[in-house]
Formats: sequence, C-alpha cells, structure tokens
Amino acid sequence: MPTTFTFGEMLSARSVIGSTLAELGAEHENLWVITPDIGATLVEFREAFPGRFVDVGLAEQASVGIAAGLAYDGNIPVVSGMLPFLSMRALEQVRTDVCYPNLPVKIIGTHGGLVGNGGSTHYAVEDLALMCALTNMTVTSIGDPLMVGEVIRQSMEMDGPIYIRLAVGKKDMVVYEPGAHTIEIGRGLVPRDGDALTIFTHGTTVAQALEAAERLAAEGIEARVVDMFTLKPIDEALIVESARATGGRFVVLEDHLAYGGLATRIADVVADRGIRLAAFERLGIPQVYAGFGEDEQLRDKHGYGLQATIDAARRAAGASEETR
Amino acid sequence: MGGPVLQAERRSVRELEGLAYELRAKLLRLCGTYEGAVHIGGDLSAADLLTALFQRAMRVDPGDLANPARDRFVLSKGHAAVCMYIAMAIRGFFDYDDIVATYGQLDSAYGMHPCKVQLPGVEASTGSLGHGLPIAVGMALGARGRGEDHRVFTLMGDGETGEGSVWEAAMAARSNELGNLVAVIDRNRQLMTSFAEERVSFEPYPDKWRAFGWNVVQVDGHDMAALADAFDALPPASSDRPTVVIAETVKGKGVDFMERNLAWHAGSLGAEDLKRAIVALEHAYAKEID
Repeated sequence: MPTTFTFGEMLSARSVIGSTLAELGAEHENLWVITPDIGATLVEFREAFPGRFVDVGLAEQASVGIAAGLAYDGNIPVVSGMLPFLSMRALEQVRTDVCYPNLPVKIIGTHGGLVGNGGSTHYAVEDLALMCALTNMTVTSIGDPLMVGEVIRQSMEMDGPIYIRLAVGKKDMVVYEPGAHTIEIGRGLVPRDGDALTIFTHGTTVAQALEAAERLAAEGIEARVVDMFTLKPIDEALIVESARATGGRFVVLEDHLAYGGLATRIADVVADRGIRLAAFERLGIPQVYAGFGEDEQLRDKHGYGLQATIDAARRAAGASEETR
Repeated sequence: MGGPVLQAERRSVRELEGLAYELRAKLLRLCGTYEGAVHIGGDLSAADLLTALFQRAMRVDPGDLANPARDRFVLSKGHAAVCMYIAMAIRGFFDYDDIVATYGQLDSAYGMHPCKVQLPGVEASTGSLGHGLPIAVGMALGARGRGEDHRVFTLMGDGETGEGSVWEAAMAARSNELGNLVAVIDRNRQLMTSFAEERVSFEPYPDKWRAFGWNVVQVDGHDMAALADAFDALPPASSDRPTVVIAETVKGKGVDFMERNLAWHAGSLGAEDLKRAIVALEHAYAKEID
C-alpha cells in the first residue's frame, strides 16, 4: 500500500510560526500580530515589524477584540497564544467580534489536547467542539510542523476567520516530506492507504495513527490513515470515499474530547448522508479532567494511546457486513 | 486631514439642542409604532451624546462611508442601536421613515443591536457589553499604524464598564499611547434592574480611568454647550493619552415619567403613553430653550 510519510526529524512548530509570520509580514503590510503574553516565538516578527506587534499582556478577551478592530480597519490580524484561554476565556469575543462580522482574524495557538503536563487548566480539550460550533469559522488542527507554515500562508487569502491548533509546538515530528502532499485547507490528506479500515485523525495523533497502521500491517491489516487537519469545513468527499474504500470501517482518533470533535464531525456527515458503517470507534478523551502526566502516559491512561488505537483498529477491521 | 466634505458641520448649540429634541421625538414615535420593547431609557440618556457626536464631534460624511479619513464610531452600548440609527438618520446616513417602517422586522437592517453586515453604515457589530472598547483600540491601532489622524470614538454605558474586557482594553489603549481614541461614557448610573451604586460600587469612577492613565473629561451629558466644548477641546489625535469623556446623564432623560425609573430600561409605548411622552418631551424642551 502506498505511503507518503516519514518519521522524520523533530522540529519546533513555534519556530515555523515565528519565521512564517515574519516572512508574511514583509509580503503583507497590513499583517499584525497580537499576543496575550505568549510572544517568545514571535521575536522575529516583533523585531522586523515592531509597529505591527502588540503584546496586550494577560488579556485574552482584549487580544481578540483588538484583532477584530484591526480587521475592521482593513488589516490581517493574527492572534497567537495558548488555546485553552483563547478558545474559552475569549470565546465570546471570537464568536461575536470576529465570526459574526466574518473578519479575517487568524487564531493560532498551542496546547491543543493533553499536552504540556500543565493539568486541566492548561489543556485545550473542548476547543474544537467550541470552534466548530461557530458560524463562519474555519477550524484546523495541525500535527506536522512544516504544514503549519503552509496553512498560515494559505490563510492569508481567506476572507473569514480561521482557528489553527497545535500541540505544545516545541518538538514536533515532521510527518510529510515537503511536496509529498498538496496542502489545501478543507481537504484531508491520506498519508497511508489501505483497505481494511480508515483511521481518521488530526494534529498530534497523526504520527500515532501512522505508527499503529505500520504495526497493523505487520499482521496483515492494511489501514488507511486520513489526516483530517481541517475539521470545518470537513472534507465530506473523502469521508464518503473512505467508507467505500474501507468497507465502512472507521476509527477516529483525536487528542480532544471523544464527543464534540472530529468523531462528531464525521458522525454528522455519515448520519446526514445515510452512510451505513460496519464499525465506528471513537478514541479520545472521555468525560474526565485528565490530571498530570506526559502526553503518552495520559493517552494510554485515558484509552486512546498507541495500543488502544491498534486494538480499536483490529476490532474495526474484523467487523463484517453481518455485524453492523 | 480629510477634505472639507468630511468636516462635520459646526452647528450652533441651539441648533444641536433642536436636533437632540428631534432625535428624542423620533425615538418616541418609533417606540409607539413598534410592538416590541425598545431600550428607551438608555436611548434617551444617550440622545444628546449621539447628537453631539454625529453632528459636531466626528468627522463623518454619510455620502462617503468608506472614506479612510473618516472618524470611526463603535456603539459599545449596542442596546442603544435605535438611538444611533436615528441620530445617523438625522445626520443623513439613513432614512428615518425606513427605520420606523422596518425596525425589528424580518430582513430589516435595523434591529435591537447593530450589525455591520446587515447595515454597512455602522462600523462594527456590537451588542454584547464590554466589547466596544477593545474593538475601538484595534481600530485606533490600525490608524496609528498607517499614520492617519482620524479619531476612533466609542460610546459605552457606565454599567457595561463592569466587564473585565473594558479594563483590559483601557490598559492596552494607554500602553499603546492611543491619543486618537475617545471613549464616551453615558453615565446614567443605572443598570437594568437597579441603580448602579446599590449593587456595584463604581466610585471613585473618574479616578479609576485616571489610574489607568487616561485623560479624563467630566461633563454634563445633557448640557449641549458643555458637550460641544468638551469635544471641541479634545487633545490632538497625535497625542499619547486616550481620552474618556465621562458624561453625567439621566436614564429616560426628557420624558419625566421615564426619568430615573427602573421600569423604563426597555419598554413599548401604547397610544396613550406616546401622547403623554410627547407632551412631557415638548414641555422639557420648551423649558430647556426658555
């Protein structure tokens, strides 16, 4: 089965954000960067364009409101910060000040999912559900650090708002060789094809899904892996095609609450289109506040680690037409 | 500076008083026509302020909505939308009859809170309280970034300054030295269900703004001469301190049975009430110009 991924070098997504914004700042004289005290990786932009860099201090609501004002004024504002706070403390500003008038504000943030060992105040685990609920909002979750730069670049041409979710962003695995895929907001990627089942995922669990698929291949189960990095608008065609190509056997793996995120997005498409599935396994955070621990430990503890993914894929692959 | 077409007419105080009376009368007429509730109390407290802003303080041209040199206005107290629509109509932006005929109706551009998408003549979609100042800060930053000298005004109720986002933005405005930003506070000292100081201690209110580094101007929000003076004397947009104009007002101002009356935060007027209200307004205006 064709594969188009590597378990390549580790890279900081934050440094990619910093360098990308600095490059784009030169191309777009109306690009502004606003941060609520999370500016360490924005140094390149700040030094190159001090007049278009605003650190508002610990004030997430104002950071988003100010971005809206700048956008009304004809600018392209990027708000960069930690997603647990941008997605919840500033949620109403995102909804009312940005989405309602459909302004081109980019919200780019870190700490999506159970990452960083900060405890439950510092994990964004409801964020995708919240953002997907907002009219006009485009919602993405990126695992590959190089891809972040491409998504930010493409977002410059968008009229409305976009949410770009990352993990901690300090040490991320390069999954895609540059040029191996056409990155297009709204279209999922298929880094590994297979016919036994589809594992849909996004963000930091893409690498885990691919690892699981490799292990499964050793036992003769060929899993298709879909990196559904755009949750909204979701790539319906790819969901439909994956149902056909893998016998309606789906596993959805995500570093987010198991209900409300990608699994829910896919379930909606499946229900709305009347697609009959043979298997639908949701792997994500159950309704718990997760506690402390490293990423991998937490995923294992909460039932969506590597082994859980392999087990769920085996179950899905074994599901037949009769069991559905 | 913008061309002469952008210069708001420097109307005389007496003329401005007449326009504020017209605004109140038109508000009451709409309130008597529309079956739903109108935020009449907070509309009447802001009527003089909105008249002074649109007729004198702000450099705006209803015939040239996109002119980059125009002053910007963000109605942070979005529930005063109808007062703003009518103030803008009197200034020539919209047609009053159109507002009355369609207000609150399906597909109307005019509703309880302003929507930029539905009504391009307004600068921002607002309604949730405490949002206007951060948006105005962003607009003022944008103007500064391009070296433009127009001002950004926002009108807030004092009650909404209970929202934390207001103080976040107050700090950002001073930190970024936004002398081109003017916040106007409609200080009617009433919340929806209480008189402000009964529930929340706002005092020492002007000192709170001073402590945030703002240039504070205190004025009687129903004294048109004082308002004209205050707006005429704003520091230049190139200065480094944002200005807050704290205007002491009376909720329901101009209609005696509505003044400082908690029952008139929002309401509708039947034929009898409308008649009473118009008589009260005429009486108040006659006294004012006497």
